[in-house]
Amino acid sequence: MKLNTKLTLFNTLSKLVIVTIFVLLLPVLIRNINQNFTDNKLRKQKEKVIQTIRQSGLKSNLYTYYSPIKDEFYSLDEDSLDEALDTIENEPRKIEGDTIAYRILSYNFASDKKNYLLEIGRSVDTISETTVPLQNIAFVVLVGMILLTIAADQLYSNYVLRPLGQIIKTKLVALKFPNFGPYKKVKTSTSDFEYLDISIHKMIETIESTFQKEREFISNASHELMTPISILQSKIENLFVREDVGDEVKARMLEMQRILNRLKSITKTLLLISQIENEQFLKEDTVSLNSLLQEVHDEISIRLQSKNITYEAVVPMDWKLVNVNKFLFFNLFFNLINNAIKYNRENGKIILNAAHQNGVFSVSIADTGIGISSDNLPYIFNRFKKLRQSLQQDSFGLGLPIVMSIANFHQVKIEVESVVDKGSTFRLIFPGFLIEN
Amino acid sequence: MNVLIIEDEAALADELEIFLTGYNYVCDVCLNGATASEKIAVNLYDFILIDLGLPDYDGLDLLKEAKKNNPEALCLILTARAEVFDRIKGLDLGADDYLPKPFSLLELQSRMQAITRRKFGLKQNLVDLGGFEVNLTDRVISYGQGEIGTITKKEFDLIAYLLLHKNRTLTRSQLSEHIWGSVVNDDYDSNYIDAHIKNIRKKLNVFAPPDWLETVRGLGYRIKINT
Repeated sequence: MKLNTKLTLFNTLSKLVIVTIFVLLLPVLIRNINQNFTDNKLRKQKEKVIQTIRQSGLKSNLYTYYSPIKDEFYSLDEDSLDEALDTIENEPRKIEGDTIAYRILSYNFASDKKNYLLEIGRSVDTISETTVPLQNIAFVVLVGMILLTIAADQLYSNYVLRPLGQIIKTKLVALKFPNFGPYKKVKTSTSDFEYLDISIHKMIETIESTFQKEREFISNASHELMTPISILQSKIENLFVREDVGDEVKARMLEMQRILNRLKSITKTLLLISQIENEQFLKEDTVSLNSLLQEVHDEISIRLQSKNITYEAVVPMDWKLVNVNKFLFFNLFFNLINNAIKYNRENGKIILNAAHQNGVFSVSIADTGIGISSDNLPYIFNRFKKLRQSLQQDSFGLGLPIVMSIANFHQVKIEVESVVDKGSTFRLIFPGFLIEN
Repeated sequence: MNVLIIEDEAALADELEIFLTGYNYVCDVCLNGATASEKIAVNLYDFILIDLGLPDYDGLDLLKEAKKNNPEALCLILTARAEVFDRIKGLDLGADDYLPKPFSLLELQSRMQAITRRKFGLKQNLVDLGGFEVNLTDRVISYGQGEIGTITKKEFDLIAYLLLHKNRTLTRSQLSEHIWGSVVNDDYDSNYIDAHIKNIRKKLNVFAPPDWLETVRGLGYRIKINT
């Protein structure tokens, strides 16, 4: 879930909980407020009555009065109670046959050796009749406020989180390993995001420079190895034709030459991969796929022949590879088809098929060979990774890494499907801009 | 033919000299750019082999000097710096060919001969091999009046290479390097040379036994011409 969504969700939920609690508490609160208000009013009325008694005497105030709708009453009467009373309590009273609940202030006092009881009451219904409208108003106002704050939160978090989204989009998702491109600062006033942006950038720089160093190392090491290999090769070649060297020695020199060739192949291959990764090849060739595959076939037909493998290629005549490096593509197909031969059985089959489906250009190479187990499948493109099935073959595990480097260089994707003992299918998926038809 | 070898690795320069002398070239060896520059200014050469990776001199500068002082000379660049960029630059500056290290001496000789042929536009280059006529210019083999059309490009490459180094045993490694040298793959020991030779013999045998194409047991193949 996205951070923004999470924040909004949390905001909404927390506000809802708080509001629900508040709405639930509202009746109690309002009742309390009303009661306090009523009590104050009753006390004020009491003060007023006492003042009136002082001014106009007791006699004229000695009566009981009910308001016409019985929501209030007033009574001052002689009383027999001895104890002092000054309370406000809820009590039911029976008036003209109706029992009505009142909030009653009771106060007794003595005057001329007689006891008097003053009672002022307000019906409870009157007190609580504002509760419901108050509650409704409060509810509406609260809901409105919640909606407003959620909208405001949403807007603000959108605004404040935008740099994060940009960092993710431009610095992480869009990154194409290992070519990271130039650094562009993400605009933000949030220091945390600034820190994140700069940290990611520094990490990328570190990765990039490590990667660069590795590539440089491989390139330099391969170059440095070329000269000694060259010297050894020349020495062996010159010795080989000397008449004073016997055939037995020559046969051993042949061994040396073969081993030197192996060293040479590894070095050349590593150098090629590093050159591809350093983008030292131009992509300016236009070549007909059909004739390129024909060239590869010419090179490789002797290998097909010696294993008696049937090779079928279904390639539209008009497909052209554009903006590619022909030398590299030749090597890509050579290695794939060579593998299809190498890991095939005698009298096997290789089917090469070029297809244009749903706007996707693809070339698949299927063989009837030993296949690759699903455990091994993720590792076949790793350098020097030799799988057990391929151990009896004369290879050093750089064929598929070359293929992968060339494919990456041209933004071609490779999909592999394989069933052990049935065969493998390598499918090259071309980006539209590489093919003209 | 006079050859100037400019190569800072003494051991390699030695081998180049031994090899080219064996092919009747007259060799001059320079182990650094400064003396090479002097020699280029004073002497005339038919061939100049330039190693680009000289410690004291930019090989491409030497190439410029060579083109200026020895305009007739054929320049071949040898380098371990096989970058595409250098390759383009070298060819733009008038180098006649380019051979990345490590190379086979046979390949060097083959290139030198190809350059010569290209430069001087040699006439029809025909070789007679026991009744078979090999046309190195048009790259065809014929017997009697008829061209042998079944010989593939690869097979012809093999015959031509063996013919260029006639009477010399070429190993399978040397032959594979010549015909598959431009392919980068991860086989180090695959040997399809035997299969090719077998096919060649089969195709030629229809006309006459190609006795001149010899198998040198345990070592390789050779085309024998009695001169």
